[in-house]
Amino acid sequence: MITLKKKILSLVLSFIASVGMGFSHQTNAAGFNTLDQIKKNGKIRIGVFSDKPPFGYVDSNGKNQGYDVYLAKRLGKDLFGDENKVEFVLVEAASRSEFLLSDKVDIILANFTKTPERAEKVDFAKPYMKVSLGIVSPDNAKITSIDQLKGKKLIVNKGTTAEIYFTKNYPDIKLLKYDQNTETFNALLDGRGAALAHDNTLVFAWATQNKGFTVGINSIGDHDMIAPAVAKGNTTLLNWINDEITKLDKERFFHADYEATLKPIYGDKVDPESVVIEGDTH
Amino acid sequence: MLDTGIKVLFEGNNITRLLDGLWVTTRIALISVILSVFFGTIIGIGWSSRFRIIHVFARFYLEIMRIMPILVLLFLFYFGLTRIAHINLNAEMASIIVFTLWGTAEMSDLVRGALTSLPKHQKESGLALGLKSFDIYFYILVPQAIRRLLPATINLTTRIIKSTSLVVLIGVVELLKVGQQIIETASLLRNQTAAFWVYAVIFLLYFIICYPISQLSFHLEKKWQS
Amino acid sequence: MHPTDEIILSLDKINKSYDDRIVLHEISLDVKKGEVVVVIGPSGCGKSTLLRCINGLEPIQNGRIRLNDQTITDVGTDWTKVRQHIGMVFQSYDLFPHMTVIENILLGPIKAQKRSKKEVEAQAELLLERVGLLDRKTAYPRQLSGGQKQRVAIIRALCMNPDIMLFDEVTASLDPEMVREVLDVMLQLAKSGMTMIIVTHEMAFAKAVADRVLFMDNGYIVESGKPEEFFNAPQTQRAKKFLNQFKFSENREDEA
Ligand SMILES: Nc1ncnc2c1ncn2[C@@H]1O[C@H](COP(=O)(O)OP(=O)(O)O)[C@@H](O)[C@H]1O
Ligand SMILES: [Mg+2]
Repeated sequence: MITLKKKILSLVLSFIASVGMGFSHQTNAAGFNTLDQIKKNGKIRIGVFSDKPPFGYVDSNGKNQGYDVYLAKRLGKDLFGDENKVEFVLVEAASRSEFLLSDKVDIILANFTKTPERAEKVDFAKPYMKVSLGIVSPDNAKITSIDQLKGKKLIVNKGTTAEIYFTKNYPDIKLLKYDQNTETFNALLDGRGAALAHDNTLVFAWATQNKGFTVGINSIGDHDMIAPAVAKGNTTLLNWINDEITKLDKERFFHADYEATLKPIYGDKVDPESVVIEGDTH
Repeated sequence: MLDTGIKVLFEGNNITRLLDGLWVTTRIALISVILSVFFGTIIGIGWSSRFRIIHVFARFYLEIMRIMPILVLLFLFYFGLTRIAHINLNAEMASIIVFTLWGTAEMSDLVRGALTSLPKHQKESGLALGLKSFDIYFYILVPQAIRRLLPATINLTTRIIKSTSLVVLIGVVELLKVGQQIIETASLLRNQTAAFWVYAVIFLLYFIICYPISQLSFHLEKKWQS
Repeated sequence: MHPTDEIILSLDKINKSYDDRIVLHEISLDVKKGEVVVVIGPSGCGKSTLLRCINGLEPIQNGRIRLNDQTITDVGTDWTKVRQHIGMVFQSYDLFPHMTVIENILLGPIKAQKRSKKEVEAQAELLLERVGLLDRKTAYPRQLSGGQKQRVAIIRALCMNPDIMLFDEVTASLDPEMVREVLDVMLQLAKSGMTMIIVTHEMAFAKAVADRVLFMDNGYIVESGKPEEFFNAPQTQRAKKFLNQFKFSENREDEA
């Protein structure tokens, strides 16, 4: 009993001590750190995903990995000469903007799609990746062009870009709609539709994990741009990131990033150009 | 099939990562519960006293805490506080504060209920012995209230432990989140049965922390009955 | 022992009301050191209220109470001090259920009177011994019979070394076979010279223990006198009627 009391006491004491250190970071009135302040702090806080492979995830050794993380490390290296100066903050999809708005991170690099609504709250740098629709189908009845879908059923997720795009542009293609990702993909496995349309980054990964299915159409529809984001008005940091991306483009950094992080998952069949943005796109 | 899944557990540091996650969960829950019992008892005592102003305040506080979803509170203390007051708490601290605020509210209601349910003559016997109010509460009323409160407090503790999974939304990596990370990474490597094993381990770990708590309460209840 | 002439407790025209209802009317009473006053009267006549006013559990509206030459009804009275001189035992079993017998007894002397544990414990053991409960020292109240609980409650009050003891129907909740053991303790106490005010329905006991009997009705002290006078020749109609009820029930019990 006495040792239990002591343990509880030390737990409470350590809590009280940690209250003092609970202020993870000094926030200035502007609500963000400028490039100079970041340099002075000696570290940059970058928000990444921890469970969204292959873009941002934590591997079995507890290390951050993925396409986004690869870029984050490079930014750290270019800024401080040491990629370990990056402090990874693990973020959730729903609250990515909040992390910037409340100065929990300097940059969000978490597969953040640029949308007009988000652009009102945060500043997006140049994109480093793009997403469009991909169509996956069985190998033995492979769909390689939209024309082949006429009169057949296409499986989509309710409320996604895929549903909106096909309803608007190809009203004569019958859509089979499901709520959950797993339901949607199971429908394809069961052969309830001829093909399935979803974000190409997702169908690429799924196709490699499911034998007998291939992504026959790599990229259709509008491209969504994925870009780093910084706090609204943090122009010094924004400009620096933009200069970085321009520079990295020239050395084909994002292709190297693709090779290192996405290709092991997607395999050889996917054309890197359907996700990587480089050179003339900017 | 299943045995390829179980291998995931022994890859890299996965076991230690899960244990670290468990420690984060336990730490947040335990500190919050201890502080909740402490502050909840103080407010509950005030609430059972004759000072009307404390009644009004305590009632109001409890209602607010019951109406507000925990998630809103987490966002408020983690993100909101920085934007409004430039107070930048780290995520775990924000979590502890929120769970303590919530637990304190629930606890104060429990303490008030337990105190007012004690027979009136317990307090009067204390008064008749010439004891001061503080001593009457400290030695006579609160210990009896706590005994009556034990089951409800254990219940609150397990509720807090379960609710800690919400803290992932402000970026705290606790047990469930580590599990998700492992499963997602494994499924990328075509290991579909990993989820089963990871959740089995998580279940086991939750059991490992909840079991001693229920044992402790069982033990205390027995001790206080004899 | 006979009461001395020194007045230890003095009530001077006290009035007590709950809301608009007056439950004690101009009660005056002097209690001498060593005197045993027994209060009887029908249920609801104000006996408990009277005792509760004396140790400040109920505030009074008018009048004055003096204890040992100190007016305790003045504003600013430190009741925690005053109550250390007044022991009280209630009808309901009022031991603290989470404490052992000895812990119950030690709480007041140690916490309120700041006495040393060693000294109080020695005294407590002596008193427990005297009432035959020393072997139950570490028992919890739930392990005791009703009569044992009340004896412990008496000792708990006694250990404060009070100047006066108040008993409010301490045997009323007991099973008949346990009444005796509690009354015996009170009788012993009376013999030892303790000043006591006892509210009871045990008429035989009242007769035996009292130096003076007060008969209360409807918030008034209706009669006051020596026990033999009061029981043999009550002055008022109300007292006669009250006592008759007891004769009836006593007779009934004899018949049964
Ligand atoms: N807390 C209280 N509030 C209002 N009325 C009370 C309260 N306590 C006692 N009374 C009333 O005061 C009167 C005297 O009660 P009490 O002193 O308990 O009588 P007794 O002990 O002689 O049976 C009764 O009529 C009772 O109803
Ligand atoms: Mg009464």
